[in-house]
Amino acid sequence: MIAFSNHTEYITISASTDSLRTIREFISSQIEDCGFTEFEENGIVLAVDEACANLIAHAFAHDASQSIEILVAVDDRDVRIEISDTARPFDPGTIEHPNMDDYFRERRVGGLGISLMRRVMDDVVYKPATQGQPRNTLVLTKRLAG
Amino acid sequence: MNHFSALVRQEPNDICIIDLSGYLDAHTASDLEKIFLTAYDGGCRRFVVNFTDLDYISSAGLGVFMVFIEAVKRENGDIKMAAMKPKVFTVFDLLGFPVLFNIHTSVEDAVNAYPAP
Repeated sequence: MIAFSNHTEYITISASTDSLRTIREFISSQIEDCGFTEFEENGIVLAVDEACANLIAHAFAHDASQSIEILVAVDDRDVRIEISDTARPFDPGTIEHPNMDDYFRERRVGGLGISLMRRVMDDVVYKPATQGQPRNTLVLTKRLAG
Repeated sequence: MNHFSALVRQEPNDICIIDLSGYLDAHTASDLEKIFLTAYDGGCRRFVVNFTDLDYISSAGLGVFMVFIEAVKRENGDIKMAAMKPKVFTVFDLLGFPVLFNIHTSVEDAVNAYPAP
């Protein structure tokens, strides 16, 4: 049975890989019982982990004094997760989606987080900071089936 | 509290079994890389990675295996995976990793898949 409720919650975490477990537990607690399958729930948690791990490593260079804000908004159609930061803009969409045959042939390492995000989420949209909105925001959306 | 551990067991037939447990993510992947490197530097080329107690993996964890697979295969070794929980297998599968890595249902199957040295 689906014990559904509209809600919006957010957390602010330090830009350290030490925070990844806290992030996963937060996302997991927000999306459980919303009507997603276990497979979908695992994918959403993974996508947020990958997005934050990229930010921590590439945008913040593991500077734990910096922070990342994560907002989760659930309604009867979808879950929307907004991951925002004040680092130099880093659009994951500019990273080339690797052809996996080439990837394995060339034994590349890394760069797979974006692929995972795109595979498990319905939409991945990046909004760089502007004068009116000083935070970069990555918006991940997963729609509820049916 | 330690959220991840990787322990190496030396087995007959020159096989090293790495028992994973917990959560393998961008925070803990460096621990696994160090353990792999120590075993590799110690001469191991025939790896079996036991996923029985691993509850989570992200792409950072997969990246560790990519670091070593070419080197061990070049020397007639391999990294064989065993006993993954479905949610862990899904991450490998989403990225097509079963093309590159042999994934077995049990540690015993993975060990037996190595020919005699």
